[in-house]
This record gives sequence, C-alpha cells and structure tokens, in this order.
Amino acid sequence: MTVLWIMVVVLVVALLLLAKLLSGVLGAARSITPTVTAIGGVAAAGSKDLDAVIALVTTQNYISQVVAGLANYGGSLDVALPDA
Amino acid sequence: MELPVAIIILLIVLIVLALAVFLLATIAELVKINRGLAAAIPLVGELVSKTAPVNGVLDAINGTLVTGRDLLEGLALKKAGPDGAGLVESCFPGEGAKFLRRVGASGAVLPIGEDYPRGAAILNSLLGGTAPVPAAGSAPAPAPAASGGSPSEAVPGGGRISLRDTPAPAAQEPAEPGRLSAMGARPWESAPAAEAPAEPGRLTAKGARPWER
Repeated sequence: MTVLWIMVVVLVVALLLLAKLLSGVLGAARSITPTVTAIGGVAAAGSKDLDAVIALVTTQNYISQVVAGLANYGGSLDVALPDA
Repeated sequence: MELPVAIIILLIVLIVLALAVFLLATIAELVKINRGLAAAIPLVGELVSKTAPVNGVLDAINGTLVTGRDLLEGLALKKAGPDGAGLVESCFPGEGAKFLRRVGASGAVLPIGEDYPRGAAILNSLLGGTAPVPAAGSAPAPAPAASGGSPSEAVPGGGRISLRDTPAPAAQEPAEPGRLSAMGARPWESAPAAEAPAEPGRLTAKGARPWER
C-alpha cells in the first residue's frame, strides 16, 4: 500500500514536470514562427533592393571607358611633357 | 479497486493527455515554421543568386581602377620624379607614403601644396611661355606654341597651376598674374597683351621651391 502511495506522489511530480517542460518547448516553437516570417519579409525586401545590382555592370563599363580615356590622356601627357 | 490504484490510473491518463496536447501544439507550430522557411528559402536563394556576380564585377572594377591608379602613379613618377609622392600627397592626403611603398621608393613625403611651379613652368612653356630648364638626362621641353606670340601673350605672368579646384576669377584680371586655374577661365583663349611675369622665377623648372625652404 505504501508503495502505491509513493507511486502516486511520483506520478504527480512527473506530471507537473512534464507539463512545465512541454510548455517550454511549445513556447520556444511559437517564438520561432514570427522570426521565420520576419526573415521571409526581410529576404523579399533585400531581394527587391538587389535588383539594382545589375547596374554595377554599367558602372563597370563606364569605369573601363574612363580608365581607357585616362590611359589615352596619360599617353598624351607622356608625349607632351618632358621626363623628370 | 483501491484508491491509490485509481489515482495512479488517473494520473497516467493525465500524463498521456498532457503529452498529447503539448506535442500536438508543438507539431502545429513546427508545421508553421516549416511553411515559413519554405517561403523564405527561395527568397534567400534569390539574394544569393543576385549577389553572386557582385564579387566578380567589383573585382573587375577594382582591377580597372588599380590599373588606372598605377598608370597615373607611373606617369607622376616619370614626369615629376622625386616630386611625385608630394604631388600625390597634395591631391590625396595620406596617399604619398603608400605611393612611395608601391613604387619601391623611400624617403620623406613633402606635400607640394596647391601649386607645382615645375609643372606650371612646363605647361607654361607648352603654351608659349619661357621653356623650363630640363633636368639632366631628360627629354627637352617641347617647343613653344607656334602662334608666334610672346610668352606674356600666351600666359600672362608666367603661370601657376592649381592642383585643387579654385574659384575662377570671372572675367577679371587674375589677382595673381598668370595663375592657371584648373577650373577657371583659360588665359590663352582670351588673354590680351599682358604684362611681363610678375614672378619670373616661377617659370624656371628648377626655381626656388617653397617646400624646400
């Protein structure tokens, strides 16, 4: 009989402990959901912002042209000016 | 049935129920998380695919700019010699020492300042002014312009060139005779007969240098 009452006590403690642990797991899972949603929103906004990255190709082209013009200008200066 | 046994059975049922309720709720949240991640992963993939060529493009841009920088530094070294680091330092403060390191030279960097008399003298000679004294072993300065004008007609006053943007004296006689402003009016396009250079020494390539005093 005593053993049975001990089992009752153990089960009560186990039930309380289990409820606390499971509620912790559930709370953690619920806290992840809005974060994932926010990540999706940020990724969508970032992806939209990165649409302008293609303009870097134009920038690269312009810079190549500028440096080519600079090279021509330097070549002219090399001819026009005496060396040190 | 004895009371403790009934309580045990009741507690076991409660434990199973608690397990079921909490685990089902957790599973539901995990399903939501899975859906959210499934929606976010393609967007992150877009980010990755859109940023993938950036490194290559920026490397190419950097390479092109470094080539241009090396070209200009080589030109400065060839044309200005020991003054090259000072010229670079005057235009881009702090870069003179790096310039020296890149070209494998050493020594103190003396900023030229806003005016580079030797360069002004060379340009002045090209524009019809007095030719600079060439350095030993260097190429002779180009001949004056074939306009036939005197130096004072081409560039009144002997000429100074500014390395930085300076406001142009609009349609007036320059306060300092012969100053060639990078952004200002061009004296050789509109200069009437002008006076002789106020500072003849500025026309000399090897003239007095303020930073050497």
